[in-house]
Amino acid sequence: MKYTRFEKARIIGARALQISMGAPVLVDASDKIIDPVEIATTEYDEKVIPITVHRRTGAA
Amino acid sequence: MARKDTVNALIRRGISAKVSEALVDGGYNLQKLKTAPFNVITRFISVEDAEELLRKLGIRKFMAEETAEAKVEPEFPDLVARMRDAKKKAKKRTKPITIPDKVQKPTKLEQLVLDQMKEESVFLPMSIVSGLAQRLRGVKRITRPMVKKLLHRVNEKFAEHSIDAHESIGIVAAQSVGEPGTQMTMRTFHYAGVAELSVTQGLPRLIEIVDARREPSTPMMEIHLKSRITKNVEEVKRIARSIELTRLHHVADVEIDINNMRIVIHPDRDKMSTKDLTFDTLKDSLMEERRISGDMEVEGKTIVITSPESTHKKLQQIMEIVRNTKIKGIDRVDRAVIKQLNTGEFVIFTEGSNLEDILDMPEIDAQRVYTNNIVEVCNVLGVEAARNTLIKEARKTLEEQGLTVDVRHIMLISDMMSNDGDIKAIGRHGISGRKSSILARAAFEITSTHLLRAGIIGEVDTLSGVAENIIVGQPVTVGTGAVELEYAPRSARKR
Repeated sequence: MKYTRFEKARIIGARALQISMGAPVLVDASDKIIDPVEIATTEYDEKVIPITVHRRTGAA
Repeated sequence: MARKDTVNALIRRGISAKVSEALVDGGYNLQKLKTAPFNVITRFISVEDAEELLRKLGIRKFMAEETAEAKVEPEFPDLVARMRDAKKKAKKRTKPITIPDKVQKPTKLEQLVLDQMKEESVFLPMSIVSGLAQRLRGVKRITRPMVKKLLHRVNEKFAEHSIDAHESIGIVAAQSVGEPGTQMTMRTFHYAGVAELSVTQGLPRLIEIVDARREPSTPMMEIHLKSRITKNVEEVKRIARSIELTRLHHVADVEIDINNMRIVIHPDRDKMSTKDLTFDTLKDSLMEERRISGDMEVEGKTIVITSPESTHKKLQQIMEIVRNTKIKGIDRVDRAVIKQLNTGEFVIFTEGSNLEDILDMPEIDAQRVYTNNIVEVCNVLGVEAARNTLIKEARKTLEEQGLTVDVRHIMLISDMMSNDGDIKAIGRHGISGRKSSILARAAFEITSTHLLRAGIIGEVDTLSGVAENIIVGQPVTVGTGAVELEYAPRSARKR
């Protein structure tokens, strides 16, 4: 499934929040990368984030 | 009064007073007489009189069928006739109605692409399919893997360009039309465009379109004719003249003769001949105007009307009616102009629009008739046609000003306006004022009134729109706000 840019933003955002609050990081990030958003983005690129989206069909 | 008028109308047509009165007392008027069977009329007047009546009114004589209904209720001849017609119609419609196949059959190449599409479970719109097929034409050997590869590439490109879900396209459309709108000049020159016809353009026209006015300030029609007459100037001229609404004062001078308390009409021969009119047609149309009370006489080359109630005021009123008596043409079509297109074909442009009546004319090409009155199109041809007109008009207006707006924005606006089955304006009276959410309506205009009303009747808001959620302080239902996150265990993750 390909995510839309909104979905991507939400997933990375939610994951970054978790990381910033101390969640274990799922990729091998060097100690120099501190920014949770950056970490979440690499996680997203490696497709390891345990988050997906629920798509509703039809009108909201 | 009504009785007297009808009697007078009959007398004016040369029927004796006695017969007229008998008929009117029998519940007839001119309209009813046209549909009245002969043997029913003879119940009120003698056979000779009835025969003379029909001859003078130019009505075809026919007998009521001695059916059961006719015997039961002979007092209502027109009703009986109508019932009989309805029955006949019902019997006629025995053939099943077939819906014409308007969609063109796909060409060979298109079918090839479509088949491959099914196999690959790829979906592309027909316009892209035919585009692809067009490019494939002329290729010597078309193999399946080739089409397959091509299809996937095209699909990839197509997906790239399609709009993401939850994109706030409405705002994008609004800005994309609004910004060029600010560049439009407030007042645009009028006498531009088609042969000496003035057409509203620019911002005023755009506002008109978006407001869904019932009548545009310059309604206009473009009438194409059937192919066999379209190159015949004389014939086209004749049709144009027959379309143009001609009132009496266009072809005659009307004056009040105060000394004799009467109205004198001097027909202008030159004007009459340019309009293909004769003295008799003039007289006949005056006869048909029922609001003219009074006697009409021909005195040499003039027509004289003397009113029974000869006060000056009454005379003045009658004169107004006489002046505006319709002689010829189609209502609301004030002017008709012919123009030759590059193709050599002659087309009639009109000032004023009356789609319904124009479509009734046998000489015109009904498929190519065009009017800029969008609401009229909706009433005559339906919403889909109106939606297309809306798109076409809005686009034309913007293009004339040298502004390029992507059609899809205009299409979205047109879709919103025609969504409910009729054309709705954008704004207070239209789509904004009829939003289902009370909070959205309150956010738009007159907040307190809306809220009070909603409170009294106990309205419910489902908080499904954008404005409602902003008011409530929740993430809005567009963009990232509309995405619902879900936990995905490792096993469920495969993307």
